[in-house]
Amino acid sequence: MKPPLSDLALECQGVNYWFGPKRVLADVNLKVRRGQFLGLVGPSGCGKSTLLRAIVGTHLPCQGQVVVYHRSGGGEGMIVTGPGRDRGIVYQQYSLFPFLTAQQNVAVGLMLDQTSIPFRFFRYLKWRRLRKAHLKQAAEFLERVRLGDAMRLYPHEMSGGMRQRVAIAQALILEPRIILLDEPFGALDEATREELQTMLLTLYAENAQAKRRGLLPPYTLIIVTHEISEAIYVGDRVAGLSQYWDWKKAGYDKFPGASIVYDKPAPIFEPNAPRDFEAFATQRHEIRSIVFDPDACQDRDEHVTYWRETGASGQDTGLPGVDSPERARN
Amino acid sequence: MIRRPIQPATALCLGVLSVFLLMSGYAWLSHRQHATNPKDTTIPNWSQLKEGVVSICKADKRGERWLIEDAKATGLRFFLGLGLGLAGSVLLGMLMGCLTPVEAFFYPPLSLLAKVPATAALAVFFVMAGTGTNMYVAMIAFGVLPTLTLTVCLAVKEFPEELHYKAATLGASHWEIIYPIIFSYVLPKLLDAVRLVIGPALVYLIAAEMVVGDVGFGYRIRLQSHRVNMAVVYPYIALLAAFGFGMDYALRWLQRLLCPWFGESRG
Repeated sequence: MKPPLSDLALECQGVNYWFGPKRVLADVNLKVRRGQFLGLVGPSGCGKSTLLRAIVGTHLPCQGQVVVYHRSGGGEGMIVTGPGRDRGIVYQQYSLFPFLTAQQNVAVGLMLDQTSIPFRFFRYLKWRRLRKAHLKQAAEFLERVRLGDAMRLYPHEMSGGMRQRVAIAQALILEPRIILLDEPFGALDEATREELQTMLLTLYAENAQAKRRGLLPPYTLIIVTHEISEAIYVGDRVAGLSQYWDWKKAGYDKFPGASIVYDKPAPIFEPNAPRDFEAFATQRHEIRSIVFDPDACQDRDEHVTYWRETGASGQDTGLPGVDSPERARN
Repeated sequence: MIRRPIQPATALCLGVLSVFLLMSGYAWLSHRQHATNPKDTTIPNWSQLKEGVVSICKADKRGERWLIEDAKATGLRFFLGLGLGLAGSVLLGMLMGCLTPVEAFFYPPLSLLAKVPATAALAVFFVMAGTGTNMYVAMIAFGVLPTLTLTVCLAVKEFPEELHYKAATLGASHWEIIYPIIFSYVLPKLLDAVRLVIGPALVYLIAAEMVVGDVGFGYRIRLQSHRVNMAVVYPYIALLAAFGFGMDYALRWLQRLLCPWFGESRG
């Protein structure tokens, strides 16, 4: 059952990717709803980053396309032809410009997006006034993510956790259609990682609030991670990309690469509730055996049931006023 | 023992001591020389040096003060040449680093030219640009251009591709990625490279002035060397050293001012 168009933020339509003769992505189809937090997991080397790059637009798919649906009412689709300001990205490293302070790093998106080189040069005085407004906006934004004290620090003076927090703020300030996080917390220690996961859950809670107030949910997010727990905890939906599936049965005579073999809803957690990892131990076990087990050999679509479970009933849409059913545990 | 830190005061004392030893060594050599030949000018003593310095600063028979005339000529040539070379290499190096066809086009000749000693090519500049200021400027500019351009080009290529994509997802145009994004990233390395070419640029200039100049530091040093008038030559050499030192210091200061992020972030 296809959801209404305006409900969607992003869609991968039959995305295929080859590295020379080696095929890494086989017909990846993925629809992401507005306001959704999708955790994307998969064994290392399965092509998670390749898929993410195709979505960002830096490495376009060899076949198929990625479509971004715009905010405007009807939800008009736009095919991705390169990186653009409607898709924000946070990398594990090098997400911040080393020559800018935290505040300038957050403000730089506003500058690049709203002004041009001739404007900044020929209308210098006007640009100066606008620059002040940008810096003020960036400062307010940093206060909101509790980084008010770090505003004047350069990236090398910040801890890894602070850097990623600033990087998320830097991407958020432009209000992109979707934010992509490529193993964002991989290099952080456990405590810092939990802190940042809580920050993402706070954003998710803002989404729910917005929907209750009849507004569009502001944040849509794909988080690529190799940690199953993180995907389940942060995401309200988990998708698994894997090379372990029964491709012979699907009619390929040669290994066609990884595809989405798992796609199910995940429990929603409140930001400050205690972490009860037992609550999703079953799902974690399920994902491990389906996505990460080299001996797994199932039909590609057997566990891709997200839309069947939620779509038909019209529950949990990204539209205002239609809140998710009480799936929240804890 | 190895790399064990010492007190700053000790470090200062050792530095002062080495300069003091150098000076007293010179004084002793000069004293020994004057004991055998009181009129010696090869190793002038302090009073001879003082006369030399006075003769540099005082107007000569034609009413010219050597120091002023030479500093004007040499300074103009040096800064014009270095400025032109710098401007050219920033432009070319940025384009080469960003655009692969430009790099493929310019890389072979530049890597060849970088190995040509500019002093050896003096005759070429002499034929093409005459003996005026133009010649010196062209020589310094073309002398530093290949090295500086390649440095800038390499620095641009070190720019992480993640930051490139990041800028693009923040709405930067291609030109905006080049300036201010990549330029800001390259600037401190450019300033470091300029510090390194100041020495060679001075060598080119002084050598050329020695060969074809009629005014300037190189010209004066050659003239006074022929007369074994070392009381003038040594102060001139000291001035050149002070100038090079000052430029180096100024560039480091500029780097700290413009790129406070650089240094610690290298590690």
